[in-house]
Amino acid sequence: MSFFRKMSRRTLVRAMIALPALSLLRKLPDANAGETGRSHADPDEIVEVNGWILKRSDLA
Amino acid sequence: MIFDSYEAYRAAGFRPKVCILGSGPAGTTIARKLGAAGIPVVVLEAGSREFSDESQDFYRGTTVGDFYFDLDITRLRYLGGSSNHWAGWCRVLDKQDFEPKAWAPDTGWPIRRADIEPYLPEVHDILELPDFRPDVPVSDDIRWVQLIKSPAVRFGEKYADELDKSRNIAVVLNTYATELAGDGKRVTGARLWSNGQDAGTFSADYFIVCTGGLENSRLLLWSNQRSNGGVVPNAAALGRYWMEHPTFEGGNAILANYSEFEVDAVNEAFFSPTLAAMERLQIMNFGIRLIETPYAGVKRVIADLACTAPDMAEWAAYQLSQNLRCAAQLYVAWEQAPLASNQIELSKTDVDHAGVPRIELHWKKSDLERRTLVEGLKLFGTTLIEKDLGRVRLMDWIANGEDYPTNEETAGHHHMGGTRMGTDVTRSVVDANCKVHGMDNLYVGGSSVFCTSGQANPTTTITALACRLGDHLSKVVSV
Repeated sequence: MSFFRKMSRRTLVRAMIALPALSLLRKLPDANAGETGRSHADPDEIVEVNGWILKRSDLA
Repeated sequence: MIFDSYEAYRAAGFRPKVCILGSGPAGTTIARKLGAAGIPVVVLEAGSREFSDESQDFYRGTTVGDFYFDLDITRLRYLGGSSNHWAGWCRVLDKQDFEPKAWAPDTGWPIRRADIEPYLPEVHDILELPDFRPDVPVSDDIRWVQLIKSPAVRFGEKYADELDKSRNIAVVLNTYATELAGDGKRVTGARLWSNGQDAGTFSADYFIVCTGGLENSRLLLWSNQRSNGGVVPNAAALGRYWMEHPTFEGGNAILANYSEFEVDAVNEAFFSPTLAAMERLQIMNFGIRLIETPYAGVKRVIADLACTAPDMAEWAAYQLSQNLRCAAQLYVAWEQAPLASNQIELSKTDVDHAGVPRIELHWKKSDLERRTLVEGLKLFGTTLIEKDLGRVRLMDWIANGEDYPTNEETAGHHHMGGTRMGTDVTRSVVDANCKVHGMDNLYVGGSSVFCTSGQANPTTTITALACRLGDHLSKVVSV
């Protein structure tokens, strides 16, 4: 039996959800609002990340 | 009456007042209206009762510019015309589609939507539709719109028996009007081609050209060339302002609640921009088709994952022995800005079997249309965020500003413009009654008279305009 077949279905799904999120965070623009001179990033600001149209708070 | 050849028709001694060229949705609808008014009318159909490669060959042509379908497969040349491969999507053009737009030159019709609305009850009967429903605002920028899937009426099949029994209508198959002759005021006759040879000339008091959104321009361009401008005296716009509905997969969506939007029988919902959004962003009309795949539980999670990590989702689906796909796919079709440079020309080197030059179609999507595609999807994505309904992901080629793909739907097989309606004879070919400018007895039916394309599939508007033209001719033509 392969490694993946030994994993529970729940563990598999959790891992799959986490992986693309990590990918999003890697390419997050303006991730540190302090470095761009703004004291607070607007959590409702619309941002585009890897083709996704997101709210900045989606990336927190 | 339906005749299988021009010879059989001549032997019958039928004397029409009106000659309609083409038996598609426009030609058949106008013929039925005139027949019901007691006006004798002949419909000349170039093809036969069934599809044939020989007939389709007359439609071959070339395209210059953006990738487009082969011109002999994007339309059909037999009884019922292109209704024979119609998918059945129905919606009348929006009210705003008839209005001029300051940011898009040469928009606006000489009629309003209210001018065709009285004919919608007839259209519902012809196309076998349920009632249309009003749009539903989702936000200030986006509205849910109804797009009805009709049973895809094949006009040849539906009306063959009625036409055959009619005493006022004669349908003549296998009879191709290769050119019209005119003296700058009237069409004086049509030259016919039947059974593989010239069949002489044919005359009637009135001629209605309903040969399709590509062929109408071809016939009139060739006729005008042969008659030294005697068929379309004001020909500056003839063949120009041709339009399609570019159609591509635009992206995916993950929805918070998959029952939020009303969907049709195949889990599809449709969205368009509000006029305010179009004005603010200076874009054309567009339609987003959201296709839901209503999974539950783990399947739903994996289907949503397919939007973000398709390879991973494919692997996971394999593990679960399931064939899953992204839970909501977005397809986009949008309105092309009318440009004179998008035009139908006659080939200088290639002719069909009857000696008529084939079409050389010049078609290119503009920067305004690219902006419409991108801003339209962003508008939808922003609306889903603001209403906390979900998230949208654009296809990579759209997000990255790459070229249009050539392996997708490309367009809707909707051929519009070329003989557009208007009051300015330098920018239009027919008037508000679909009569060719300067001609007393020549009219045009079908989507070639469209001034703008909107985002809606054209058959509903074509049929409404045909009902209107049929009513108008019933009053103009004396029996």
